[in-house]
Amino acid sequence: MKRKVIAVLLASMMAFGLAACGGSNGGNSDAGTSGDAAGDTTESGTSEGSTSASGDTIRLVNGKIEIDAQLKKLAEMYKEETGVTVEIESMGGGIDIQGTLKGYYQAGNMPDIFVNGGATDFGNWEGMLEDMSGEKWASDTDAAYVDEQYGTIGFPYTVEAVGLAYNADILAKAEIDPATLTGPDAIKAAFETLEAKKADLGIDAVVGYCAEATNLYWSTGNHVFANYIDGGLKREDTTYIDMLNDGGKLDEARLTDFANFVALLNQYSDPALLVSGTYDQQILNFASGKYAFVTQGSWIGATMTTTDAEAYSAAGNFKVGMIPYAFQDGMDTILTNSPSWWAVFSEGNKDAAKAFLQWCSEDKAQQVLVEEAGFISPYKSCTYVASDPFAQTIIDYQTAGKTSAWHWLGMKEGLAQNYTGQVFNDFAAGRLDAAGFVKTMQQVVQACYAN
Amino acid sequence: MSENSTSRKMLSLALLIAGAAGLAAALFMDFSGSGSPVRGPLLILGAVVFLFGLYLFPTVEHHRSIINFIFLFPLLFTFAVTVIIPLLLGVFYSFTDWNGIKFNQFVGFSNYTSMFKDPAFIWSILLTFLFVVFNIILVNLVGFSLALLCTSKLKGVNFFRASYFLPNLIGGIVLGYIWQFAFNNVLVQITAKTMGMQSSILSATNTAFAAIIVVYVWQYAGYIMLIYVTGLTTVPKDVLEASQIDGANAFTTLMKIKIPMIASTITICTFLTLTSAFKQFDVNMALTNGTGSVADFMGSYLTNGTQMLALNIYNTAISKNSYALGQAKAVFFFIVLACVSIIQVRISNSKEVEM
Repeated sequence: MKRKVIAVLLASMMAFGLAACGGSNGGNSDAGTSGDAAGDTTESGTSEGSTSASGDTIRLVNGKIEIDAQLKKLAEMYKEETGVTVEIESMGGGIDIQGTLKGYYQAGNMPDIFVNGGATDFGNWEGMLEDMSGEKWASDTDAAYVDEQYGTIGFPYTVEAVGLAYNADILAKAEIDPATLTGPDAIKAAFETLEAKKADLGIDAVVGYCAEATNLYWSTGNHVFANYIDGGLKREDTTYIDMLNDGGKLDEARLTDFANFVALLNQYSDPALLVSGTYDQQILNFASGKYAFVTQGSWIGATMTTTDAEAYSAAGNFKVGMIPYAFQDGMDTILTNSPSWWAVFSEGNKDAAKAFLQWCSEDKAQQVLVEEAGFISPYKSCTYVASDPFAQTIIDYQTAGKTSAWHWLGMKEGLAQNYTGQVFNDFAAGRLDAAGFVKTMQQVVQACYAN
Repeated sequence: MSENSTSRKMLSLALLIAGAAGLAAALFMDFSGSGSPVRGPLLILGAVVFLFGLYLFPTVEHHRSIINFIFLFPLLFTFAVTVIIPLLLGVFYSFTDWNGIKFNQFVGFSNYTSMFKDPAFIWSILLTFLFVVFNIILVNLVGFSLALLCTSKLKGVNFFRASYFLPNLIGGIVLGYIWQFAFNNVLVQITAKTMGMQSSILSATNTAFAAIIVVYVWQYAGYIMLIYVTGLTTVPKDVLEASQIDGANAFTTLMKIKIPMIASTITICTFLTLTSAFKQFDVNMALTNGTGSVADFMGSYLTNGTQMLALNIYNTAISKNSYALGQAKAVFFFIVLACVSIIQVRISNSKEVEM
């Protein structure tokens, strides 16, 4: 008897399995999305009805998982206003988004709007993206991604900044005016002063600089190295990225100055963090007021006010700001850019997608994006100011016109992860000196471009 | 009888044709990009009708092989879809400039020539061989010692067996991150206090490579131990007793009786460790992701000091976005592994004949 019950159970399980397989074969285009994506759809009914009512549904692949909830709120607002359903599919936290998108493309499951991180990503989809230069928002911003051949193909949604972030309270206590730190000598003098007063100021180290190569290669290889490419230059100046993309050439004089500056960071950084630290450790220590400077960009504001909020308030919710990585005299710009853009897939539901993006750039959506998601709006018409600790600094630099672009986004793919991150690590660990860093960097970057 | 056979033949042919037509229509719809909901059911229905027609086909001579084919079909089909077709496609893509989305042209053997000109790839090959040699020796040594321990008359042997085997049940990625935490956050605290070394052992190539070996042995030795335990328990008791009466000590018993008696187990374990060490990927990725520097190898400075073959392929395709080159490396990897497997099968077969 028992055996029969088990047999029936197993048989029904098999039948159920077959039925489930049959269901996904039945032309339901959304069945291919992964399990968590299914949970992401704003309305459970949409996946089933999508084939018939595809005109009223658009799907967006978002690369910033931390703002998933805010985007879903936007989708709900948009649904109420226009009746168009927007499905938000968020990825992030180490997922290779371009790789996943390629899988979607092969499976015929492309989203209508998806995230792209720069020239290399846009190059993947050459000729498959909509030109949006005719849209209203395109004339309201400088941060759109414009391709020479294909026009405006990237919609910007936030602005992030790379600079040497500082704890304003500590600098004030040490009587250092951040506005004077515009050259390597001034910065060196400031570091020396801080080092001497370490005990009085209650800090562990002057700088929180971490050159760990396995998990933090992006901080050194992309963001710190970005200053070699763009530091002190005009937004449209592409001298050094062009050199780099021409077979991996580096300017030796500029790189030597840069290396000397990195040597300064190595020298004054927290030794416990320098070679094998973690991002969490770096931000937590900065938020707790243990470092005067940290080599991370404006995105840490979100971490400081959420994950590390306790430590940050215990340290007195100190004011923060940014100085340029001034490795040459007179460098007075920080690097600001849209970190990634949303692009519209031209074989998808493009008109509805464009309408949604236009709506995103307008007042109601901007309020949510700025005040709740903590974005710094790239749109001139936007009047909201984020509560993010770094928002005011970025706005100040922007109004003063002291910003450079992020041309590192156009570096060869995998350069930081597979090549330069390790060289920064070797420099930090003392396996290379400044001259060795310059020489090795040139050779390694060339090897990367040769393959 | 003959009339019956004719009508059956007609029915069988009709079913065969209908099934084939259904299959063809479903495939055509698929390739033409139609989103029609009947596509999937039509494909399955076509296959079932076709097979049923085949079953009814009036033949005595081939009936048995037709039945064999029908029963094997689901498995063969799955095997073709998940293994054979991707393999052929992979070889095909390795001769193009495929970028994961589309390819523009055939490039002949240039992917294959450029991969052998890259010192970083040569380094990965050498490192993988080194890793394999270290692991065959260490995993078997540790596994065999643990097996001896677990077949002795200790108290709580079952507990030890279970706990040595446990690491093998944890996935390599999870295990890698746990050990990364241990190396980067725990071990560093100890070394900082005792030797003043503030950087983790994962940050220098030599020590990071040693760390990968340690973690891998820790993970895999328990599994190999289980196989040795099985081997050791099959050694006949009477032979052991006879040796005891002859006055052999524990070491002599081990060398002269136990090891010769489990020679075939040793062969199996050696090949198991060989192939699995070759394919090492997850621990490598989680612990170091291939980082580490080599100051001078074939005249260039390498930044992939701990990157083994499988990880090299993955990073070439995914993080450097060179899908075609990665595919060419994967084909090379496949050939190496196929050679190893063929040798393994040959040797194990000849051993079986001897016994």
